[in-house]
Amino acid sequence: MTSSAIFLILVLLSLVSFAMTRQKALTRAGGDPAKLHSLPRHYGYFAATCVLLPSFFAFGIWLIFGKSIIEGLIVSGLPDRLFEVGTDQATLVLNRIRLVVENASSPETDPDILAAAQKFNDLYIRGIWAAFALSVSFGLVGFYLASNRTQPDFRARNKFERIMLIALALSSVIAIATTLGIVASLLFESLRFFHEVPVTEFVFGLHWSPQTALRADQVASSGAFGAVPLFAGTLLISFIAMLVAGPIGLLAAIYLTQYANTKMRKIAKPMLEVLAGVPTVVYGFFAALTVAPFFRDLGITLGLDIASESALAAGIVMGIMIIPFVSSLSDDAITAVPKSLKDGSLALGATPSETITQVVLPAALPGIVGAFLLAVSRAVGETMIVVMAAGMQPKLTANPFEAVTTVTVQIVALLTGDQEFDSAKTLSAFALGLALFVSTMALNVIALKIVRKYREVYD
Amino acid sequence: MSETNKDFKPTDWHSDEMNARIKRRYRKEKTFKAFGLGAVVVAALFLVMLIGKIASDGFFGFFQTSIELDIPFEQSVLGNPREMSPEAFQEQVKRANMLRLIDAAMKEHFPEITNRRERRDLIRMVSTGARGQLRDMILANPTLVGTTKRVSLLASDDIDQLHKGKIDKNEPEANRKVKDKELGWYNKLEEEGRVTLHFHSTFLTHGDSRDPEMAGIWGATVGSALTLVVTLLIAFPIGVLAAIYLEEFAPKNRLTDLIEININNLAAVPSIVFGLLGLAVFLGVMHLPRSAPLVGGLTLALMTLPTIIIASRASIKAVPPSIRDAARGLGASPMQVVFHHVVPLAMPGILTGTIIGMAQALGETAPLLMIGMVAFIVDIPGSVTDAATALPVQIFLWADSPERAFVEKTSAAILVLLTFLIAMNGLAIWLRQKFERHW
Amino acid sequence: MTDTKIAKMTAKDVHVFYGDNHAVKGISLDLHQDEVTALIGPSGCGKSTFLRCLNRMNDTVATCRVEGKITLDNEDIYDPSIDVVQLRARVGMVFQKPNPFPKSIYDNVAYGPRIHGLAQSRTDLDEIVTVSLEKAGLWNEVKDRLDSPGTALSGGQQQRLCIARAIAVNPEVILMDEPCSALDPIATAKVEALIDELKGRYAIAIVTHSMQQAARVSQKTAFFHMGDLVEHGDTTDIFTSPKEERTRDYITGRFG
Repeated sequence: MTSSAIFLILVLLSLVSFAMTRQKALTRAGGDPAKLHSLPRHYGYFAATCVLLPSFFAFGIWLIFGKSIIEGLIVSGLPDRLFEVGTDQATLVLNRIRLVVENASSPETDPDILAAAQKFNDLYIRGIWAAFALSVSFGLVGFYLASNRTQPDFRARNKFERIMLIALALSSVIAIATTLGIVASLLFESLRFFHEVPVTEFVFGLHWSPQTALRADQVASSGAFGAVPLFAGTLLISFIAMLVAGPIGLLAAIYLTQYANTKMRKIAKPMLEVLAGVPTVVYGFFAALTVAPFFRDLGITLGLDIASESALAAGIVMGIMIIPFVSSLSDDAITAVPKSLKDGSLALGATPSETITQVVLPAALPGIVGAFLLAVSRAVGETMIVVMAAGMQPKLTANPFEAVTTVTVQIVALLTGDQEFDSAKTLSAFALGLALFVSTMALNVIALKIVRKYREVYD
Repeated sequence: MSETNKDFKPTDWHSDEMNARIKRRYRKEKTFKAFGLGAVVVAALFLVMLIGKIASDGFFGFFQTSIELDIPFEQSVLGNPREMSPEAFQEQVKRANMLRLIDAAMKEHFPEITNRRERRDLIRMVSTGARGQLRDMILANPTLVGTTKRVSLLASDDIDQLHKGKIDKNEPEANRKVKDKELGWYNKLEEEGRVTLHFHSTFLTHGDSRDPEMAGIWGATVGSALTLVVTLLIAFPIGVLAAIYLEEFAPKNRLTDLIEININNLAAVPSIVFGLLGLAVFLGVMHLPRSAPLVGGLTLALMTLPTIIIASRASIKAVPPSIRDAARGLGASPMQVVFHHVVPLAMPGILTGTIIGMAQALGETAPLLMIGMVAFIVDIPGSVTDAATALPVQIFLWADSPERAFVEKTSAAILVLLTFLIAMNGLAIWLRQKFERHW
Repeated sequence: MTDTKIAKMTAKDVHVFYGDNHAVKGISLDLHQDEVTALIGPSGCGKSTFLRCLNRMNDTVATCRVEGKITLDNEDIYDPSIDVVQLRARVGMVFQKPNPFPKSIYDNVAYGPRIHGLAQSRTDLDEIVTVSLEKAGLWNEVKDRLDSPGTALSGGQQQRLCIARAIAVNPEVILMDEPCSALDPIATAKVEALIDELKGRYAIAIVTHSMQQAARVSQKTAFFHMGDLVEHGDTTDIFTSPKEERTRDYITGRFG
């Protein structure tokens, strides 16, 4: 019995109840739909939702919590022998059991583990049947209730629409749930991290080397989690990116809105859209393969020491990526400036460039500032370019020729590859994620506020 | 009214000073305009460089060098299909050391080379994939056994790069991946016309491999497709329903405002944060399988949701109120007004937004790294719970590979990805133009 | 209509096209130094378009094409040797909606003199700003808050600020495109009084929808209809004894 089969059965059940209830409604009305309060199919819709909602709910609970519950049962039933070393062992043991469950040919020999895996399989099969039975009976109960209410005077459409409205509202709440999920998961894991590493060390520490000892009794470094070098690296690369994207994006927006003819705009705007649509992994590849070696070689020619994974290369490519972002938002801001202002300046005998720099841009300034803030937030959160083209060395430097690392690079480095979920090393990735989330969110909120306020002035 | 009788001196617009000033102002004007044009040109140049570089590298990724060798299909290695049951023959062929066939062919061709080490180097000019190639040939046609046939075998990645001119023959030997000795062999084969370049369909039809000449993107393509299907199934209905609610039904209150602000902010949250969410919730809490398109799709769905909601709302808003009034006037319930009249009219815009959201999801890499869709996977995933990778992740993985030959494979994979993206965006533009209405 | 004085600006057989749309059809009109000329007529009759030809503001519309001859002090303003920037400084313009720049009141007025280099020093500039504001009858209202933004003024004050801004570059002609249509009656009265004050120093052309306004502020009136100049003459003559049927219909309110 697989999950998809159960889903299919439940859907079938609801289709059947739709057809049956529709028929029943017609029969009750003596074959004359006009005698019914609602159309026959509304009775069907109502019954189908009465079947689907409770049964999907029951099955969803199993899908989400089933495995965790079974694992809990198994772990509590294991002999203490397996947990000698400490509480951390629980996850390790669980992982060994999971390995056996998922992979029949695993080299596991411990009889207790094997037995537990067997037990897991038994419980899982029992569980899935129980879930199946439960969700089907929920569905049948729903069908029975709906069927009972299928009377000509039952307001099926209103009931069904009421349910639809709730479904609509729930859908829009998912957006909130996502934010809450982000905040909760980041916060939860970060708190566990800060339990081991003080917040002050994370926020103010100047040394980052998350390689914790493999065993608790090892003398080797216990890892250092001062994130300042990462913040500095992120800022350095974002700054370089903005040095590229800011002027080019803004000037391009000015040219396209103020000077270019329609034909030119028709070519240039899609071009910028293409630039925006190129996946970041492609930019990363371009940065690592073409731009970084170019700067390194240029450095050799000029007698400069430019690292092969320099902040400069990553920053410039990131800047290219952000150009369309800056230009399209600046474009909006400039276009929103009323034409009367521009006319007023031109009518006084100002040249177009004087009009732009002294009247149009000051008027559009809040919008442009908002655009730049959003662009910075984009740069700070950008991952693939820096993962592929910036280095891994957490160095505290303002020299763009050196290799630096960023918050996103470290998150990826900490969470890809083999990992134990509980170590300070992996948890630190969530603390970095939290810092990233908070800072980009702050930038966005401020930017949107500025932009909105500015819109109010001219609307 | 006027508070003064003072008057300005008339301005002399034709004085030398004024003329010089005007000239200066026009010079500034020209410079400013040139800067603007320059910015557009620079952006265009970047794009041309990016696409040009990748296209020129990637073009060769679709082609692969082969070496034609006269392979003796020796009975001593393969067994005799006439004397064995078909099963036993198949078994023997599967276990047979195909390198011996290649070695024999090479010996025929380079009889002067007897040194074991050099012979091994000779064989290495042919890809490790050539063994499977030979095995498949024999299994498909057992009558080959006992004959000698000219077979075009995949060359190793180094010979391939040499043949494509990516390795400079004039560089000192110490810096060159292909040594002088191998260069000599290659030159001999080349002179005899045995080295050829073919279109390489394996790249489009096979999964990943450690050997660049055997690596393909089909596995990643299927992984991406499965991921996108999950994303679409989740994000499209939820996004559209949410947009309908917010635009048509939501009361104007604090909660609705909060949802609105929240959606706008969510659209700007870095994608990697969604990856962390997926890792913590879908893997950590729900224990869904790691590296699976299901989890990737769910994660990307949450990421795409704001895009779809925002586009759908704009599209629904653009439907004029008169249509709603007309339907209401005929006695339709609010729900019927929306689902029978507003949504069908808004559908082209909603679809356009959805396709653009899907294109974003297709190009997204970082969240997939977080949920483990970054493993080396040879098999083509069969369902949404199989371990899989996706096109952009495949590009990331190959970009990290040290082999020179992976550069062109990476670029070729990028070309494929860009083709999909252009197709999707083209479809969105077509939809928009075809169904665009001006009310 | 015979003009004995020398005209400040002369338009001869001016045609304006927006793409294929023939908006102004062969208009000939003179503006004189110490007169206010009112351009009246129903919406879309080409009066604003014609006005915008006089300082080449129509250049900013890509599809617009102007034929015919317009001279300022006998110089053809569409001649290639004429600099449009200078032309617009000499022929100032006030728009329908007050459009102060998002700058301080002082900077709004100082903007023109600054770009044209009309002031040699800060005191010069202060003088220009003060006198311009005084001429526009705004000085007493704003002298204590020259640093506050121009957009913070009331609508009527904003429009007078725009007039002060135009005066500050020392123009010879001032064009006004329905300057009072966005203002309340009291502000309108102030602006009308101001126009009357300014009449002696500048040649003024004013486009207006209001026949009463035309009658109040102008000495000459030109009636436009469908791109044609139907009738042109002394304001009193036009309003008391129009020669043309269409003029009579318009001023008596039969259409418009």
